[in-house]
Amino acid sequence: MGLIQREIERAGIATIGISIVREFTEKVQPPRTVFLRWPFGHPLGEPGNSAQQRAVVLEALRALYQIEEPGTIIDLPFRWRREKYADYLPPTAADLE
Amino acid sequence: MDVTRFKNRTLARLATRFPRLAQRFIDGYQAQESAGSIPWAVPKPLRQAKLALVTTSGIHHQRQAPFDMNDSDGDPSYRTLNGEELFDDFQITHDYYDHTDARKDPNIIFPLGPLRELVSEGLLGRLAQTHYAFMGHIDGRHIPTLVEKTAREVAAKLKADQVDLVLLTPA
Repeated sequence: MGLIQREIERAGIATIGISIVREFTEKVQPPRTVFLRWPFGHPLGEPGNSAQQRAVVLEALRALYQIEEPGTIIDLPFRWRREKYADYLPPTAADLE
Repeated sequence: MDVTRFKNRTLARLATRFPRLAQRFIDGYQAQESAGSIPWAVPKPLRQAKLALVTTSGIHHQRQAPFDMNDSDGDPSYRTLNGEELFDDFQITHDYYDHTDARKDPNIIFPLGPLRELVSEGLLGRLAQTHYAFMGHIDGRHIPTLVEKTAREVAAKLKADQVDLVLLTPA
């Protein structure tokens, strides 16, 4: 996936990737990544858990603006099936520019 | 279904359920190493931006040809997705992960629902109608095809569609 990401960024489009295999991402070096140690097939979490899916999307988008060093991987703090997303603090509009 | 595909799908189900087996798969796979500088584009503010999704989860419309799962090096082609119709007629062609949960709720691999919410809240400018899907298990001779041909084609199409930001999701 990182190879595709690099080609899109090379075309002048800013990208953020979600990774569930940190080892591959470290080798491929896409420009910006958020990493989750979650099972295959579940990059946004569990079916029907829209609060969880929203939190992952918002953290990916926060990272898109936060990362300044090409190749950075941010490890998201969300544990698999052990988080309560009701307490999640989303980025503000100012964090997304 | 032939024996290899059956084996791949069984291993994928086990690796999804037992992460330690997934680690063995990860250790056995040689990811492509990148050399040279990492490309970089400055992102536009989210509320002014048009965003598209690119996924390697193998999701596509039922009317489209499935990815080729008989080639052990994978399939470097892509499918063009219409975001407005996809969840009404999708199928997943990818033998290397368990699709059970993604079939129940495709937002876990392709988060159109959460992104639409952000548009309606004014946090995200626009969501593109056209998105792209690859099948993420690509190896050997197909890597140059992916990088030099299909990924670049998709990048050019996104650019022509005036997409500002891309979120990439694996599976």
